Amino acid sequence: MGEILIIAENLTIYYDGYRAVEDITFRLSSGETLLLLGPNGAGKTSLLRTIAGLHKSYTGKLLVFGKPPAEVKDLISYVPQSHSLNERVPLKAIEVVAMGALYKRGFIHFNIPKSVLKEAEEALEFVGLGDIKNKRFAELSGGQKQRVLLARALVSKPKLLLLDEPLSALDPSARVEVVSVLAKIKREMRITMIITTHDPNPLTEIGDKVMLVNKRLVAFGTPEEVLRDEIITKVYGSLAKAVKVGERMYCFIGDVHIHGRERR
Amino acid sequence: MIPEYLLRALLAGIMVSVLLGMLSPLINMKGLAFLTHATFHTLLFGAVLGMILGLIFSNFSLVLWVALIITIFVVILIALLENRGFSSDTAIGVIASFIAGSTVLAFGVLYKVMASRPYFALSQSVVSYLTGELFLITLNDLMFLVLGGAVIFFVMLAFYRDFLYVSFDAEGVEAYSGNARFYLTLLYVLVGATGALIVRTVGLITLQVVAVLPGTIAVMLSNDLRKILGISLGLTLSVQVLSIVLAYLTDIPPSGIATIMLGLVYGFLVLRR
Repeated sequence: MGEILIIAENLTIYYDGYRAVEDITFRLSSGETLLLLGPNGAGKTSLLRTIAGLHKSYTGKLLVFGKPPAEVKDLISYVPQSHSLNERVPLKAIEVVAMGALYKRGFIHFNIPKSVLKEAEEALEFVGLGDIKNKRFAELSGGQKQRVLLARALVSKPKLLLLDEPLSALDPSARVEVVSVLAKIKREMRITMIITTHDPNPLTEIGDKVMLVNKRLVAFGTPEEVLRDEIITKVYGSLAKAVKVGERMYCFIGDVHIHGRERR
Repeated sequence: MIPEYLLRALLAGIMVSVLLGMLSPLINMKGLAFLTHATFHTLLFGAVLGMILGLIFSNFSLVLWVALIITIFVVILIALLENRGFSSDTAIGVIASFIAGSTVLAFGVLYKVMASRPYFALSQSVVSYLTGELFLITLNDLMFLVLGGAVIFFVMLAFYRDFLYVSFDAEGVEAYSGNARFYLTLLYVLVGATGALIVRTVGLITLQVVAVLPGTIAVMLSNDLRKILGISLGLTLSVQVLSIVLAYLTDIPPSGIATIMLGLVYGFLVLRR
């Protein structure tokens, strides 16, 4: 892996005077993918938005590319949860993607420049949606919407990609579509990624590091180091279990029966 | 031969239609109906304050300017509160309540000032702000409406895509190096300025309906942006022109006729669903 890209030391994030998450310390290297796990209200989104430079109420040290996040927003792409979007606005998929590049090119956007449209088309091709560019965003399936948002993030040519629950509310086949695009981004573009998720299992293929938070840092390390019974039970309760299948670690809650495989 | 006052009313109606036809879909898509409601309360407060100053300084052109300045100040205040993390509902609700209280107070002061200047027939103007006075539009009013409307129209046109983006995903605009707060504040200012500009034509009571319903109806009929804008513009224009003609023929206020027509179209579409 490359140089250190994110440095967080004793990072405490505040919302309306309350501590959303406190005392977070970690480092992430260039090219790595971090899976950020934790229950609802654990502070995952707060941490992600702060790293994206969208939330500035924090104490401690946080450097992204050696600078405070707000100063390097051009290098960061943030993909919000798709349900937070207002789909009453009848934007086409290509217009949503173009949004990622437009604001780096001026202040008024009466028309989308042809160069931006071309980049948006290429980004849609990359995520496998070249044929739906003129469909309205609201008419797309959950998986397609998430891939359009990924294309929007890519068109801004980021060095750091932050994804908030990209797999939530998706059916299994849509999850596979999105995960395969994320794997392609990692493989072909080598962009550093932080992905918040409730369910790390579909993402273990691409996760280099795992961080477990629950208002504070519970564990940070490789999947092998973090996805252990004694660690995940602290957050998810006594029914949580870590299972190694082949070379990969998985995390389950409830009874697990795996035949012919190592159980850790 | 069309009487001159009717011609002026028709031209004013066309300008109002263009502005509201463009703005109404945004009000609907961004969910700004409550803001428009608060804006129009503010316009009343501004108009009453303007009338007080107009009486004191014997200059009734102050009414429009004071209403415009107060409304823009208030919408910027609402935007600032939202930017500080208050929900849109809370920011508008708090400010609108304060404005409503202030309006009652201002009316008290107005009546006191009016009592000291009985030779001014200003009570008529208060009523005209509530109901609109389309047939009493002067050439100066019309010029002001057209010039001001043209400025609002071109600003709205230039930033229309940005308003759509900020309505779709304000955080996304911010994340991709855009200034979502600026676009949102500008949109609020345009809503306020449009209201201040057309209030004498349409009337406060009707303003909410003609600002919200055309966009609502257009969004019900189509999910294509060009069609939505076309329907909203066409509907507003038809209703405005038809209401002026009917008002001319029947002596019923045109704002009331416009409200009833839009209400009937909306009701028909709701029942047809």
